[in-house]
Amino acid sequence: MKGITSVIAVELKLIMRDPMSAFFALAFPAIMLWVKMRSGKPLPGGLPAIDATVPMLSIFVIGLAGLVVLPATLAGYRERRVLKRLRATPASSTMLFGAQWAAHMLLAALGTVLLIVIGLAAYGLTAPANSGNVLLAWVLSALSLSAIGLLVGALVPSGRTATVIGLALFFPMGFLSGAVIPRETMSGSMRAIGDLTPMAPAVQAIRDGWTGAAMSPITLGVMVAITIVAGGVALRAFRW
Amino acid sequence: MTVIEIDGLRKSYKAGKAVDGVSLRVERGEIFGIVGPNGAGKTTVVECASGLRRPDSGTLRVLGLDPQTNRRELLQHIGAQLQEAALPDAIKVSEALRMYASFYDRPADWRALMDEWGLADKKRASFASLSGGWKQRLFIALALVGNPEVVFLDELTTGLDPSARRTTWGLIRDMRKRGITVVLVTHFMDEAEALCDRIAIIDQGRVIAEGGPSELIAKGRSDSLEGAYFALTGKDVA
Repeated sequence: MKGITSVIAVELKLIMRDPMSAFFALAFPAIMLWVKMRSGKPLPGGLPAIDATVPMLSIFVIGLAGLVVLPATLAGYRERRVLKRLRATPASSTMLFGAQWAAHMLLAALGTVLLIVIGLAAYGLTAPANSGNVLLAWVLSALSLSAIGLLVGALVPSGRTATVIGLALFFPMGFLSGAVIPRETMSGSMRAIGDLTPMAPAVQAIRDGWTGAAMSPITLGVMVAITIVAGGVALRAFRW
Repeated sequence: MTVIEIDGLRKSYKAGKAVDGVSLRVERGEIFGIVGPNGAGKTTVVECASGLRRPDSGTLRVLGLDPQTNRRELLQHIGAQLQEAALPDAIKVSEALRMYASFYDRPADWRALMDEWGLADKKRASFASLSGGWKQRLFIALALVGNPEVVFLDELTTGLDPSARRTTWGLIRDMRKRGITVVLVTHFMDEAEALCDRIAIIDQGRVIAEGGPSELIAKGRSDSLEGAYFALTGKDVA
């Protein structure tokens, strides 16, 4: 893991210098929050819309950073032979994955903090009922969704292809899993399809944490399993 | 002392044989040239020696280490400038040097390296904004940032204007002065003649001649390495 902190620092700077990544992870979710809160009626069951929307959109941010930006970065490095140069150094692929994951999740954390600040300042967001559970849910979501992103980034030859695949995974998942539309207002069939996507347990867990509902061990277990399987396959399949 | 020993190296790709039985010895502290036409297998030899490719057969020892089985240890002691390799567009010169230094157990002082190789004025410049000559200078500095004993330079001066090439030659001679062994892949005969202590001419995956520049010139009954090269490879000057 030698050099991981310096790679994380450099990668984070590179992400912030790229206007597209900054827009995707910071501005876009904030705009989504504003759009959703313009018609923010309480949900069926009486939960204020903001207390569902901020946790939902925090998964949206993780999805953008982990499923769209992260694979595009890795595949772009492969296409432009940045990885080829790195391969001639003692840097290991595990270290590189770890650094990319950390840098992109720091980006997602910034996006999440921005959503929370806007929620508190403008829309009377209620603090999470169980902050520890929210944090656990956030981290497991970041691990499981990014593991899928790493798998795409490990295999795809070009940055453009990775972006297309990332968006094709992200948008249907985002809309069906309840990261954009609250699960309470979705039809039963939509919810059933959405539950099959790896984003559904992420949304479920973080919303449970926010409202103080008990978190299901199955939900958490599914995220751990996705992380191990997708992350493990990504490391084995990785091409420089 | 021999730092690189290659015996019977063979490597094929889908397109055919790239290296077909190459054997070489590189001694410590010399500039060793590998020359030959495009597609002769030069890059494959270097990529096998630096652990980037797995040979089909043959034995390789670099600094006494097998580039495949002791790859990670070997990479601590060698530096490389590779054909077509790149850095992220937005990375700054100083960030690249600092980051690459962090990969090594005993790195060089990257700030001193930046000064020595004339990169201090460019330290805040992004990789994408650098001209070809400055990019190559940065790649040389990156190849040296791990304090290597052996450095592989693959077509370092291709695409440079004549004055940038001459400057680069000076930089390569400086490496030898510091006791670094340099393996230089080039298809410029004037470059090989000016810089190299010994040269191997490779054609169609085989070493067809090996020796000091003057030996090769004598062997080719010519007055320049370029003339000798054409005589020895049987390639037509036209």
